[in-house]
Amino acid sequence: MIKIKPNEIKTVAQYIYDISGIFLDSNKTYLFETRLSSVAEELGCASFSELHTKAKSDRSKNIERKIVDAISTNETLFFRDKGPFELLQHKLLPEIIDARSNASTGLRPNIKIWSAASSTGQELYSIAIVIKELVPDLSRYSFKLMGTDISDNAVAQASYGKYNKFEIERGLPKAQLQRYFTPAGEFWKIKDEIRAMVNFRKLNLMSPFVGLGKFDIIFCRNVAIYFTLNDRKKLFNKIADSLADDGFLVIGSTESLTGVSPRFVPKRHLRSIFYQKK
Amino acid sequence: MNSLTILVVDDDPVIRRLLEQRLRKAHYGVEVAEDGYQAEKLLQQKRFDIVLTDLMMPGGIGGIEVLEIAKEIDQNTEVVLITAHSSVDSAVEAMKKGAIDYLEKPINFDELFLRIEKIVNVKSLLRNARDIHEAMDATENAASETIQNLEIMTAKLQQRLDMVENELRDDAVDADNRINRALDILAGL
Repeated sequence: MIKIKPNEIKTVAQYIYDISGIFLDSNKTYLFETRLSSVAEELGCASFSELHTKAKSDRSKNIERKIVDAISTNETLFFRDKGPFELLQHKLLPEIIDARSNASTGLRPNIKIWSAASSTGQELYSIAIVIKELVPDLSRYSFKLMGTDISDNAVAQASYGKYNKFEIERGLPKAQLQRYFTPAGEFWKIKDEIRAMVNFRKLNLMSPFVGLGKFDIIFCRNVAIYFTLNDRKKLFNKIADSLADDGFLVIGSTESLTGVSPRFVPKRHLRSIFYQKK
Repeated sequence: MNSLTILVVDDDPVIRRLLEQRLRKAHYGVEVAEDGYQAEKLLQQKRFDIVLTDLMMPGGIGGIEVLEIAKEIDQNTEVVLITAHSSVDSAVEAMKKGAIDYLEKPINFDELFLRIEKIVNVKSLLRNARDIHEAMDATENAASETIQNLEIMTAKLQQRLDMVENELRDDAVDADNRINRALDILAGL
């Protein structure tokens, strides 16, 4: 493993911040080393400065993409933390379906859900499974489920929907596993009926949200923790702009919006909380 | 000291005996079955960490079937197949069905022990990862309860403070009354 030198930390940390918005504390050198050494070695770099120089001069941005893939963490569980999904099933979806169905337009109610840091797709597929189980006649609604992530690799993996058995068997009950996945050797692949409900694309949460429209439910869990307070403020301000007035926001169970965004109020449902716009 | 339990399945009495002795000597807990049927019976009675089974055995239950039965009963049981050189392809097929490894005949015991140790290492790493996950879940649950309570409390306080501010700014009411109303709101906290 390549060691990062004290005089390299600041430059490399700034570079990672610039390309990803991820703020790496300069005393967490092990994070640089464990996550970026293999990229440096693969490119034949002897040091982190060399990797930095190479990445900056790479017009194709392939190296930058590799670094983003390596530095962004990928949470790999289905139904990670039951709370948000129970909340979705018992409170958020019924309320949104109710609210959107009241319009006497005769059109199919349009419901948009966004997984803002979708990683390799587990969260959005879990949401799709909840919807599939809750809504008996899916064709009566137009559900749009979008997942975004900063890592090309994660987006590609999410789109493919293939998971190894260790990743999948924790968190996902056997009945659901067999209902929504097909075995493929050491892997399980999401079935087409669920795959067809979702879309993944690349998005850096630090950049402007262009052309996303308004969402009814936004999941933005455990990603803002890697940002500075100032960037968190900006992010949740943009999220407030992207959320319908009666929409719902779900953040990570150990996250807080106190001192981050005055535009949301927390509300409790059973053992979870969610946020709505003031 | 080896707490690991191994089930040896082989129809050849000589190999069976040899495996049993060598594994016992290495302090593994060993049981033997002379065919697939006996193996199935033993697997239903108690759990084994590792099943070491011959691929080709007479009768309806061969090595592949033993593998399937063992995995069906307990996903955590690891199966190693023993195969003749000529049937390596079926061994690879077996790996796809969930076998963790295979050994070619004649059995090289150094190799066998090396493979077993590797399995033990992988299993202990997995157990470690599981323990860490569980510890993380517990910590996270405790932390989220605290954070969520604080989040709701802060929101309520903020709401009260906004009300107090509104009362105090209300020009239509005289100063004493404004203060009294504000105090009433604060008293309600």
